[in-house]
Amino acid sequence: MSLTDNVAIPRKTMVLFFVVDTSGSMEGSKIGAVNSAIEEVIPELKNLSDANADAQIKIAVLEFSSGARWLTPNGPVEAENYVWRDIDASGVTDLGDACLKLNEKLSTKGFMQEATGSFAPAIFLMSDGAPTDDYKTGLDKLKQNAWFKKAIKVSVAIGDDADSGVLSEFTGSSESVVTVHNVATLKKMIKFVSVRASEVSSKNANVGSTEGGDSKQSAFIDELNNFKVETAASADAGGGDEWA
Amino acid sequence: MSELQSGRVIKTQSGKDVKVLDKLGEGGQGIVYKVDYGGKQMALKWYFRHKLKNPGKFYENIKNNIAHGRPTEAFLWPEDITEWVDNTFGYIMPLRPREYGDFSKYLLAKEKFKNGRTLVNAALNIVDGFTALHRAGFNYQDLNDGNFFVNFDTGDVLICDNDNVMGHGHNSGIAGKPRYMAPEIVRGEKTPDKQTDRYSLAVVLFLLLFVNHPLEGRATNPACMTEEHEKKYYGTEPIFIFDPDNTSNSPIRGIHQNAMVKWPIFPQYIREAFVNAFSNEQLHGKNPRILDSDWLKLLIRLRGEIIACGCGREIFIDPTQPVTCRNCGKQIAIPAHLRVKKFNVPVYPTVKLFSCHTVDCNDDFKTPTAEVIVSKNNPGSMGIRNLSDTTWYVSGADGKSVPKGRDEVVKVASGLKIDFGDNLVAEIIGN
Repeated sequence: MSLTDNVAIPRKTMVLFFVVDTSGSMEGSKIGAVNSAIEEVIPELKNLSDANADAQIKIAVLEFSSGARWLTPNGPVEAENYVWRDIDASGVTDLGDACLKLNEKLSTKGFMQEATGSFAPAIFLMSDGAPTDDYKTGLDKLKQNAWFKKAIKVSVAIGDDADSGVLSEFTGSSESVVTVHNVATLKKMIKFVSVRASEVSSKNANVGSTEGGDSKQSAFIDELNNFKVETAASADAGGGDEWA
Repeated sequence: MSELQSGRVIKTQSGKDVKVLDKLGEGGQGIVYKVDYGGKQMALKWYFRHKLKNPGKFYENIKNNIAHGRPTEAFLWPEDITEWVDNTFGYIMPLRPREYGDFSKYLLAKEKFKNGRTLVNAALNIVDGFTALHRAGFNYQDLNDGNFFVNFDTGDVLICDNDNVMGHGHNSGIAGKPRYMAPEIVRGEKTPDKQTDRYSLAVVLFLLLFVNHPLEGRATNPACMTEEHEKKYYGTEPIFIFDPDNTSNSPIRGIHQNAMVKWPIFPQYIREAFVNAFSNEQLHGKNPRILDSDWLKLLIRLRGEIIACGCGREIFIDPTQPVTCRNCGKQIAIPAHLRVKKFNVPVYPTVKLFSCHTVDCNDDFKTPTAEVIVSKNNPGSMGIRNLSDTTWYVSGADGKSVPKGRDEVVKVASGLKIDFGDNLVAEIIGN
């Protein structure tokens, strides 16, 4: 090795999990907005990962309708190499199964087996309905998962039919659930959450401050609250198609 | 969130118009735009609303820094500040020139230095920037890999994000990245100052030279890096990966590969400096940290001790000892070394002397004052050419003193003395 030859410095991995409701009620503009927003945000995640010597960002996608399925069955994919394929919507809302599948992979034997370690992941749930299966059992199990406990968890409730109570149970607080009512806001929210949750989660903690152990989640909630205020103002002015 | 549209015009404090052209990048605190600033293309850092803890104080600090002016040309320093718009603001600074790349990309092996001398030049330039900042009464507060842009062909360095620079005794309230923060800050015992900056400087230098983090080894590689872990590894229980008294955090083969390969290659005095900088005592804040000026001396010496073997490989040498290339195994003939101040400079083709060598009380490592050349007619014969405007006086055993002005060459012979002026005398010593 010459004086100037190097290999890349080891960095932690931060996985952004998209957990997407693809039940029948998502069909049409909702799933369309999800598809285009995630597709558009991937280049931003790539940029974030590209020059980040602290962490590389990987993406994992779990869809749930009648049962839950990994769209990244072989494990999280580097943002640089991830190609989003549009997903379709049909079937019921088996959130419980999604929780079980997520729990299974949130493990060093599953998706979290990086040799150089990982930061706690960011988990982003999107749903427009209420669970149709026994979600409690799955969620209770997931809540025991150490990776899940440490993760930044955030949820977008799409329209008023979404059960924001259940989504709050998933994320741990109502503050980390955002309800959106139209395509523009949904897309904005998906982009904001994906980028900022990845960024907060993949940067080292602000340990100089005196905040407690959960400061990444609370730092993210602060940002989310500010963003909610700003988008609420612009969304009201924007009008457009509203979901019930 | 607080994004500016292209074409938007904002007024600055100095009464100029800033017109937004393009978005250049986004960070945790705000967005950087390319702007037209009175006909000149500049950069505008525009803060997110709600991101600054005390925006009023932050604004005043940047205003003060603008009034003070940049410490050296290496700083992409704030030059003007906008008026408040929708409860936020931005400041104007020069654009990053095209030939400068990200230090972070170097760490990710996406950028590479041209050669060992440019690598050490970058280290010297970083120390130089810090020295200038500290001499001007500032300290950095939030230093990390994102603060440096590097010209990998020359080792020139630009220091950016100077909004976090504060006068001594002030605290920006920015917590920073724990990987770069002094452990006493991570532990919550201190706020940033010159001493904590010096710790961060040692981290940056280690990263630059060894391309691994000094505190990241086998004891600090958990499957899930939590905030508790970070406090422990960088704050309460930091252990240097090459701590001679505690090997529990040594590098892991295949992961901390750069440090494992590079550490044994570097000269002892460099290794000792880092062992000292990251000793248990230093990590627990007991000893005064290594001074910027001491790093300068060590790095000037290091740069002067890099030579290229005939096989093309660059190596660090001890100029007073016989040298074997660690690549091709051949002996490298270095006929002599020049002893000046506390340096031993090898007399070997392409080696240069700088003002820091040939001028008394001078630490200018950028201005070359002499170079070693090979005789065209006799490849075995070397000379030292005067590149400075000062006339040297060269004397040998006969005691006669011969003047050598600019571009004149001193033929190398053991025992010759060169008076560089001001009684600064160097001696050529045959090996």
